[in-house]
Formats: sequence, structure tokens, C-alpha cells
Amino acid sequence: MTSRRILMGVVGRPHGVRGLLHVHSYTSEPADLADYGPLLDDNGRAWTLAWRGEGVATLSDADGKPVADRNAAERLTNTRLYVERDRLPPPDADEFYLADLVGMTALDAAGQTVGRVAIVHDYGAGTSLEIEREGAAPLLVPFTLACVPSVDAAARTLVVTPPEEVLVLDEARAAE
Amino acid sequence: MARSVWKGPFVDGYLLGKAEAARGSGRNEIIKIWSRRSTILPQFVGLTFGVYNGHKFLPVQVSENMVGHKFGEFSPTRTFTGHSSDKKARRG
Repeated sequence: MTSRRILMGVVGRPHGVRGLLHVHSYTSEPADLADYGPLLDDNGRAWTLAWRGEGVATLSDADGKPVADRNAAERLTNTRLYVERDRLPPPDADEFYLADLVGMTALDAAGQTVGRVAIVHDYGAGTSLEIEREGAAPLLVPFTLACVPSVDAAARTLVVTPPEEVLVLDEARAAE
Repeated sequence: MARSVWKGPFVDGYLLGKAEAARGSGRNEIIKIWSRRSTILPQFVGLTFGVYNGHKFLPVQVSENMVGHKFGEFSPTRTFTGHSSDKKARRG
């Protein structure tokens, strides 16, 4: 697995005058952001996060010194916080990190390249993959066993079997 | 104001026939629809619809707890895709 950074949160506005900060966590459980150990910013500096209230945290630098006051906290506003991919725990069997799926090469059943996974959609009705294709419109495929029969996380490839499409025209479109 | 109960849930009639046909066929297929306003009925559970959001047909895999909602609720029209961070997906 290639080591790369994954965006886990962003620092918001200061809270009070003692160096506390609002932190917007992008993790599934917001409180889990503190469990991933040191978080890296865009410049590679490591920060340790400790929650002090709902959405409010203390950030300490690599030497363990917390942000001292509001002025120092203001300078950190909009800082993006990352973790190395290797620090995420291994997923369960047949479970995949969305960050791993993005960028995978999609192959058809014959092994020919279809495209590259550009976006993973999940709006509460199942996960779906948006596959960018050269010279064609993006392909949207539900992330199901029928449509994505195999995923090779090590080779960063997946096999897609696009479903048959049934077009249902509404009355206005059918009349055209 | 809520819709009167005596009217029953609204659903565009032409979806019902297509859903029945898709259920009977047992094939791996996606039913592309424009009808975001239709209510999800129990007979749609287990089927996959492609719901148009003005730009593309987003796959919507209908499950039991989606019954009573509208198709449009699961196919957002804005472009924000969220942050993947530590989120995981399982093949349904």
C-alpha cells in the first residue's frame, strides 16, 4: 500500500483566549480524530489533538507545547489536518476505505481498462463509483457484488460489470 | 403541510410497471428515472434505480428503511461529494 496523506479535518476559529480551537472532523465518528495520533499539516508539522468540548480542542506541537493564546490559535485557522494512510486500521473483510477506492483502475471482465475511479458517492442509498473514461461520459456503477465482482487493493484495480440500463420515460418525455 | 393520508403516497404510475418487470427479470439492471418526486414504495425494495439529478443518474439501491421517502432525497443536485477520510464501504 502506498503511503499517502488523507485529509481528516480542518482547524476552525479560535475558542476563547487560552489557545483552544474549533476543529471540524471529517471522520465517521468526529471524536475519533484524536485517536489517530499526530496529525500533519500542509507543511509537515505534527500536531497532537485533545478534545476539550464538543468540536473544541487543544492542539499541541511536536514538542508537546499546546497553542498558547488566541493570537497563536488564529494563525492556525484553516489548517488542514492529515494522517498517513498507513495509520488507518486495516478494514474488515470485504470492506474498503473510500480513500483507497479513489484512483483505482477499473477493468472489464476481459481485463481491458475501462477507466479510473474518480469519485465515490454515498448519499445514504448505497455506495456507487464514478469511473472516468477517455472520450466517453463517466460511468456510474453501484458498489455491489454484481457490478463490482472483485477488488484487488494491492494492485489498485477492480473489475466492473456495468448493469443493464432500463430507461423509464415520464409522460412528457415519452410524448416528445 | 403534510399530504392527506386518504390520498395515499404519490408515485408516478409508470414506475410501478417497470419495477414489477425488473423484479421478475432477476437481471443486473439499473432503472433510470427522472421522477424524483415519487415516493419509494415497499415493492421497490431490492431494486436499483438511477435517479437523475439534473446532470447524471446516481445509483440508488432501495432498502427497507428508505420506504416513504422520495427518490430525489438520495440523489443530491449539488456537487459536494464529502470527504472520504476514514469512511468505509461494503459491497451491497
